[in-house]
Amino acid sequence: MGAVDSSSSSPVARSLHRFANPGRFLRISGRVLPFVAIPALVLTLGGLAWGLFFAPADYQQGDAVRIIYIHVPSAWLASGGYLALAVCAVLSLVWRHPLADLAAVEIGPVGAAFTALCLATGSLWGKPMWGAWWVWDARLTSVLVLFFLYLGHIALVRAFDDPTRGYRAGAILALVGVVNLPVIKFSVDWWNTLHQPATLSVSGAPSMHVDMLWPLLVCILGFSLGFAAIVMARLRAAVMERRIRGLLLAGAQGA
Amino acid sequence: MTHLGFVAAAYGLALVVGAGFAVDAWLRVGRARRRLEAIDPRRNRERVL
Amino acid sequence: MLRTRKGRRLAVVLLCLMGLGTAAGLTLLAFSDNLVFFVTPGDLADKPQPAGRMLRLGGLVETGSVTRARNDGKPVARFRVTDGRAAVDVEFAGILPDLFREGQGVVTLGMLRPDGSFLASEVLAKHDETYMPPEVAEALKKSGQWKPESGAAPPAGNWNTLNPRKSGG
Repeated sequence: MGAVDSSSSSPVARSLHRFANPGRFLRISGRVLPFVAIPALVLTLGGLAWGLFFAPADYQQGDAVRIIYIHVPSAWLASGGYLALAVCAVLSLVWRHPLADLAAVEIGPVGAAFTALCLATGSLWGKPMWGAWWVWDARLTSVLVLFFLYLGHIALVRAFDDPTRGYRAGAILALVGVVNLPVIKFSVDWWNTLHQPATLSVSGAPSMHVDMLWPLLVCILGFSLGFAAIVMARLRAAVMERRIRGLLLAGAQGA
Repeated sequence: MTHLGFVAAAYGLALVVGAGFAVDAWLRVGRARRRLEAIDPRRNRERVL
Repeated sequence: MLRTRKGRRLAVVLLCLMGLGTAAGLTLLAFSDNLVFFVTPGDLADKPQPAGRMLRLGGLVETGSVTRARNDGKPVARFRVTDGRAAVDVEFAGILPDLFREGQGVVTLGMLRPDGSFLASEVLAKHDETYMPPEVAEALKKSGQWKPESGAAPPAGNWNTLNPRKSGG
């Protein structure tokens, strides 16, 4: 099923399939990875130190505001990671792209971890600020649903003896879950929630002072690069592991 | 610093999660590469990896 | 587009997503009354609720309405919650959260009493989306651009690059 049928390829499909060649992927990703991983480390550690020690406290929240330097990037990656999962699902279902299947398997646990981090840090902020660890408002509940979608995907892609069936089932779950993403984003605008509305928006000035905004943006960039680097490294390992399995299988059959 | 416990817990969690995944991915790549180099019959594997 | 196998698969995926999106949208619309975390005093005025049923009431704490007392050694706070259209008297026995302030948002869990006032068993502070250092808040208040008791901070463009140490407020 994973075979490349190049007979009817459009230019898009051809350029996609150039990356389907595992050897080429390993070569290119090996060259790119340091340029992602090192800035990720520098920006994340720098941004977190900036937020923790140098950014000002908030006029109302005091130092608890520093939790957002972790909470907001994790929340962004929780949604962004799921979007990447859904893109992999389309590539897998429509173009039968073999790397997309492996990528979806590797994105799942990382996305779930960042979603958990988002929920945990939100809780640590909510207790002193709202007065509650958890409330069932639309924003918090929809993010919890996102976390369960990740867990379901992780379990589903590993649940079949035939990996292809697992990939197919996981891709369908990832696509179904994508309706949750706009619900998360707009929950604070559509319904009364305890969670505050967005501070950063495409249109309009951010209602956050620049002394807090810059470290936050650095953290968002650092976390995103870190997510990309971790997924890329895991995908490299997965490609190599698949080749090892193939070689062992061929050896066993040849003997 | 106000709310020190909550802030410290949040940063601690973030470092544990981030470092955990990064180290795990690093070790997994190293393991897979060594394993592959040991059994890969092809001569030109340096070019591939 | 439908000529190739890939094209057909893409069409099927797109169709399924559209169907799913519509279904999800309609479901959310149908249940949207249950998805609100709290009702505002204005909602209560439009659609009166029976006394004794648990509900969450949210809004701003009306400026100058807070009185604190002690009853059997327990702190009791009385305040009015408003959304600009209507206001409800709230009584709460217990410790208020740190961010509870006049002019700030709160969400209270409790029930209406027959006289139309609200007996709260839990009060949560609702934070707004504004983040600023204390010096900037101080400078805005000093210059009269912002009276925190009477509502939210002025539009962010006015202050989010303000540097009180340099400009001296």
